[in-house]
Amino acid sequence: MMPLRHLYVHIPFCLKVCPYCSFYKERLEPTRMRRFLDALLLELERESGKRLLQPRTIFFGGGTPSALSASQLEYLLTGIRERLDLSALSEWTLEMNPATVSMSKARLLRALGVNRISMGVQSWDPALLSVLGRVHTAAQAERSYEILREAGFDNINLDLMFAVPTQTLAQWEATLEKTIALGPEHISAYCLTYEEDTAFFERFSSGLYAQNKDWDADLFEATLDRLEAVGYDGYEISNHARPGRECFHNLAYWEGADYLGLGPSAFSTCGAERWQNVADVQAYTSRIFAGESAIGFREEVDASTHLAERIAFGLRTNRGVALDLLGPWQSVVDEYLSEGFFTHDGARIRLTRKGKLVADTLAEAFV
Amino acid sequence: MSIQQTRNFCIIAHIDHGKTTLSDRLLEVTNTISMRESTDQQLDSMDLERERGITIKSHPVAMEYTAKNGQHYTLNLMDTPGHVDFAYEVSRSLAACEGALLIIDAAQGVEAQTVANVHLAHKQGLTVIPVINKIDLPTADIESCKRQLEDILAIPGDEAICTSAKAGIGIVEILESIVERVPSPKVMADNRVRGLVFDSVFDTYRGVIGYIRMASGTIQPGLGVKLMSSNKNYEIKDVGVFTPKMETRPQLNAGDVGYFIANIKTTAEIKIGDTLTEQRHPSDEPLPGFQEIHPMVFSGIYPINTADFEHLKAAMAKLQINDASFVYQAESSIALGFGFRCGFLGLLHMEIIQERLRREYNMDIISTYPSVIYEVLKTNGELLTVDNPAFLPDFSVIEEIREPIVKATIMVPNENIGDIMGLVLEKRGVVDHTESLDTRRVMISCELPLNEILVDFNDKIKSMTRGYGSMDYEPAGYRADKLVKLDMLVNGEPVDAFSSIVHRDKAEGRGRQLASKLKEVIPTQLYVVAIQAAIGGKIVARETVSASRKDVTAKCYGGDISRKRKLLEKQKEGKKRMKSIGKVNIPQEAFIAVLKSSAGG
Repeated sequence: MMPLRHLYVHIPFCLKVCPYCSFYKERLEPTRMRRFLDALLLELERESGKRLLQPRTIFFGGGTPSALSASQLEYLLTGIRERLDLSALSEWTLEMNPATVSMSKARLLRALGVNRISMGVQSWDPALLSVLGRVHTAAQAERSYEILREAGFDNINLDLMFAVPTQTLAQWEATLEKTIALGPEHISAYCLTYEEDTAFFERFSSGLYAQNKDWDADLFEATLDRLEAVGYDGYEISNHARPGRECFHNLAYWEGADYLGLGPSAFSTCGAERWQNVADVQAYTSRIFAGESAIGFREEVDASTHLAERIAFGLRTNRGVALDLLGPWQSVVDEYLSEGFFTHDGARIRLTRKGKLVADTLAEAFV
Repeated sequence: MSIQQTRNFCIIAHIDHGKTTLSDRLLEVTNTISMRESTDQQLDSMDLERERGITIKSHPVAMEYTAKNGQHYTLNLMDTPGHVDFAYEVSRSLAACEGALLIIDAAQGVEAQTVANVHLAHKQGLTVIPVINKIDLPTADIESCKRQLEDILAIPGDEAICTSAKAGIGIVEILESIVERVPSPKVMADNRVRGLVFDSVFDTYRGVIGYIRMASGTIQPGLGVKLMSSNKNYEIKDVGVFTPKMETRPQLNAGDVGYFIANIKTTAEIKIGDTLTEQRHPSDEPLPGFQEIHPMVFSGIYPINTADFEHLKAAMAKLQINDASFVYQAESSIALGFGFRCGFLGLLHMEIIQERLRREYNMDIISTYPSVIYEVLKTNGELLTVDNPAFLPDFSVIEEIREPIVKATIMVPNENIGDIMGLVLEKRGVVDHTESLDTRRVMISCELPLNEILVDFNDKIKSMTRGYGSMDYEPAGYRADKLVKLDMLVNGEPVDAFSSIVHRDKAEGRGRQLASKLKEVIPTQLYVVAIQAAIGGKIVARETVSASRKDVTAKCYGGDISRKRKLLEKQKEGKKRMKSIGKVNIPQEAFIAVLKSSAGG
């Protein structure tokens, strides 16, 4: 049996829910936490019994994993270490909110094997942080970054967001410059998306917020230009890294590898099977303890769907897609090459700058 | 009952002047239906008719009435369609009568449609009894109505009966005057079987039910009959009258109005105005006035969802069973897929069919810009008729294009005459003369190309006159003019649904208007889209839709993969429903938006 190489753990708790976020999360309720952590560990045990788990990457996402207290994190991470073969592990990421970073927590995480931190800064501008409803201040985010460095993290990602309501080009450039000056190994720069079931979407639908694709495109291009100029390789649409510091966990998704997700709402894909756990802490916990399946949704990813995904998501990365996978779409590939959306080196197809801007439209041809 | 005690009459009225309410009162007063059974507007059966306050088709009703002279009479009321689109059907209904009630709204006066229908009634030699209705309205002006009767229609004003159908005033007077003034049916001496078919409906269980006025002779079940226009033989299965329900009678005699059922399968076999005669002793000549009905206005009707084509086909067939004047044949359009080219008697007829498809058959349809029938004289002397711009021959072989002209009568308040004359000119009309009707209104007689009044002319008159203006028209032949074909091109390829035949002077304006509308509705694409309007290869207008600058999802991780893939699939599925013109995808909604907006000018 091929070992499963990528593990995701979903911690669906936040101090405060951000108005633009559509991921499954709940407000933190400390009293239920221990039971939830036990459920996660129990799910891990059950999964290890079914398949060989030997992760190269682990990713703790959320929600806000760092919203857990130091002792809760210690309990969970120790529990995981006891139940998993970590001999192949090279990247263990944990998402942190700047407001929940402390030296003791940082040291603890580092000591327990976490070697990469992804921190949601979003902006260094106080006014925009307030528009985004973030609980941290710019100063706090900078202090947290320094703490992480002091605690020994040499692989840090900072999340940034552009096309935020009221944001000016100058504000975005300032945020980029400030980030560059701090020198993280990795920068994720996301264009704000109005996701359904968020407060932002309501404001967008009611006309309070508007989206201007030309403006989005301007900011996107400015981002690519600037980060490239200072040595960050835009290795995926929204992700930029120093050479060798790409997020290998996320690359695995984009390249169609198998992964196991633990926790409520987490997705897993193993071969042709894809499933998602129920997006409800209560239901997840009680099902796990009752020995029942926590799966709320299943889907078969047949060969052609798998291929479609490999192409659609592979195109988003600068590794691109092997030309031989695109055989059935020769005429489309030729058209996109001649129109300057694609480029190729004989073996792989990649998006050009022009192509990156309309990656979704291009990907449609292959799904 | 003897033929001397039969009266056949109809009601002529402008929309809203109270024809239906008056009919209902007549039915009540003669106890044909009791008040209890009566819901308002007894004769109009379709919802659509009620809503528009017009009657498209309704059946005759036989009323029993004891007059003040103590005699019993059978009064046959023939309801006529009120709109000029159905002028031929009106003329056949009138031919089945000896008299007509002419209803005039006391507050509105004589309207354009009234004039047209009174002329029809006079042509048929009918006795016209003027009725001034709604006299209880505070704005009623009876004297003015009487003057208009004399001035416009040459009917003595003091012959008018003043009524309020709503309040039940003057109903008995009407019945008495029908008995006194309308002659009893004239009967031909030779006693051969001749019946005028003035309408027909299709009944799922009984087949075609023909409405007939017996001119001479007698029909009864078992009789071998034939329809003279087709020379087809049938056997009478049932005859009867409407009371208003169908009621079987042993026979129908000369002068009677009623129905007959024979083994007729479709209404297409039984043409309105045809003569029914006996197989063994046929009439030598049919009754006068029969015409084949020809559609005047054409439009493509397409299902919005292409999968609904078969449903639409079935719905059209069902409509045609009841309305032989509606014609259709399958056609296909690059832009709209498979649909039908449909012919209508006129604009109202077109709207009614479209509405019925939508409401009664739940069809989601789009119709193309309506067209008239053009006569195209080719350089080789050949004369073509073209009802679809797509079939216009190349301009190099066209000598001239002739378009149908109508004679229109427009009645408007004095203060709007300037606006209306302007509108007529804008529509390439020529004013023949104007005439004051009274102190408030004028009548404008003019000639207009039918094409120009197809879409919004009547609406414009109504809005310019705050609803007081009215318009009617009749065909007045063909005339050559500077007509050209306007094509809309998307990245150089013509889009057939938007082609039209227009006057040279209007082509550029319309081209520009269509191009700018198309620019609004064509979504941004991967590529720049050029929209052009062309007249015979020459570009007269251009708009550009810039290429889409950004379409890329920001975040895409493990949990998003299924959702994201499905979004892409959905987006792609959406584009499949779009029409590809070259590399350009045009959503069906864009076609619909343009076709709808071009209806506005």
